[in-house]
Amino acid sequence: MTLRLRTNEFADDATLMMAIVNRTPDSFYDKGATWAEDKAFERVALVAEQGAEIVDIGGIKAAPGVEIDAAEEKSRVVDFVARVREAFPQLVISVDTWRAEVGDAVCAAGADVLNDAWGGADPELVDVAAAHGAGIICTHTGGATPRTRPYRVEYDDVVRSAIDDTVAYAERALAAGVPRDGIVIDPAHDFGKNTFHSLELTRRLGEMVETGWPVLVSLSNKDFVGESLDLPVGERLVGTLAATSVAALAGARIYRVHEVVETRLTVDMVNVIAGRLLPKRAIRGLQ
Amino acid sequence: MTAAVNRVVLVPGTLALLPEYAGREDPVAELRAAALAAIAWLGPDVQVVGDEQGARVGAALLEAAAVSTTLAGARCSTSDGGGPSTSDGGGSSTSGGAPAYLVVGNGSAKRTEKAPGAFDERAEAFDAGLGASLRAGWPEFDARLAEQLWASVEGIARLGSLGDLGEAQVDYDDAPYGVQYWVMRWGA
Repeated sequence: MTLRLRTNEFADDATLMMAIVNRTPDSFYDKGATWAEDKAFERVALVAEQGAEIVDIGGIKAAPGVEIDAAEEKSRVVDFVARVREAFPQLVISVDTWRAEVGDAVCAAGADVLNDAWGGADPELVDVAAAHGAGIICTHTGGATPRTRPYRVEYDDVVRSAIDDTVAYAERALAAGVPRDGIVIDPAHDFGKNTFHSLELTRRLGEMVETGWPVLVSLSNKDFVGESLDLPVGERLVGTLAATSVAALAGARIYRVHEVVETRLTVDMVNVIAGRLLPKRAIRGLQ
Repeated sequence: MTAAVNRVVLVPGTLALLPEYAGREDPVAELRAAALAAIAWLGPDVQVVGDEQGARVGAALLEAAAVSTTLAGARCSTSDGGGPSTSDGGGSSTSGGAPAYLVVGNGSAKRTEKAPGAFDERAEAFDAGLGASLRAGWPEFDARLAEQLWASVEGIARLGSLGDLGEAQVDYDDAPYGVQYWVMRWGA
């Protein structure tokens, strides 16, 4: 399915790198490395240079922590989005927020996509996306409250739950007026899930792809990778790329990542093996 | 009896020219461009001369050139081995009814350490000699040495049976992957 994220159109077989840019002092991976606006801007410039098609700007870390109200969240991201929009007119700007109020402000500042990582916690977010012609990422959290960790969560079938909830969300977004080609679904690894849930979603991601909605995966350095290999944050790249390979083989379209270059190479290699992408340059044995 | 030759083109038989081996970047872009331009110059009634793989390469290039130059009715046939067969009639030749030939062949495949056959110090001189004779329109080479140097000369050997070709126009002359490629044209 063709993706059109506001003014940017991507071919049916295109895979996209969505680079994480945190305007937070406390996110789990970078631990505030891009908290300062200029550092965040340098990160945007770097990932754009590395070939990321999308940046995903977030003003609140996902884990529990100090309460960040909408005003504070907007102060972290709105002007920054405007700055990125001006400097990188071709870059797709996504903002990681569950709040409609924040979504409205960032779209007015130039954001193209709202990444609702908390799965419709604010039901008015789809109306904001529709009003601005923005795209939306419809995630599955199993109904988790924003910024909470899973505690003894269980599903009869986590994949069925993820498909049912994200497709319902996508249809709700469509009904609200969000363009069909700007709607993406995301199983949201680790959100409202234990490691076994995230592994099963990875293993059966093809079932989500079969819905026909473009699938985004956010696997980068997450706890399910860490627990699978018993590795701390900072040592999870290989595990992340292995999970990325499985997702790519299943047909995921968008990859929300910390490491753009490594993920792009992994996804391209898998798609070349799968016969969906030509080798970059082949001459061996053909001279 | 062989009809008077109108136009002849030589291209190499590299499989990288086949669409089934295409990548996102073309490793033989310059060669391909030269070959397609020369083939377009041949006109619409073309016979391919070369070994089995060369015939496949020639047919693919003819098809690509037909698309890019909107030449209708291009057709090809491989030689039966004794010498190039003439056009079997029905098609219109470039001028005067003389057939056009696309000859597929190349020099040695041992020009460098990374070449398919690795480096052979005799390869450069072999290619220089063969290239000079091709430029003069009368190919000459040591068939035994050609085999040792992995040169694809089946089609080139048949060039001689086309008569006096005259001096060639050389569109491409290089060995980018340790294999000697030429694109040459003969005729009016």
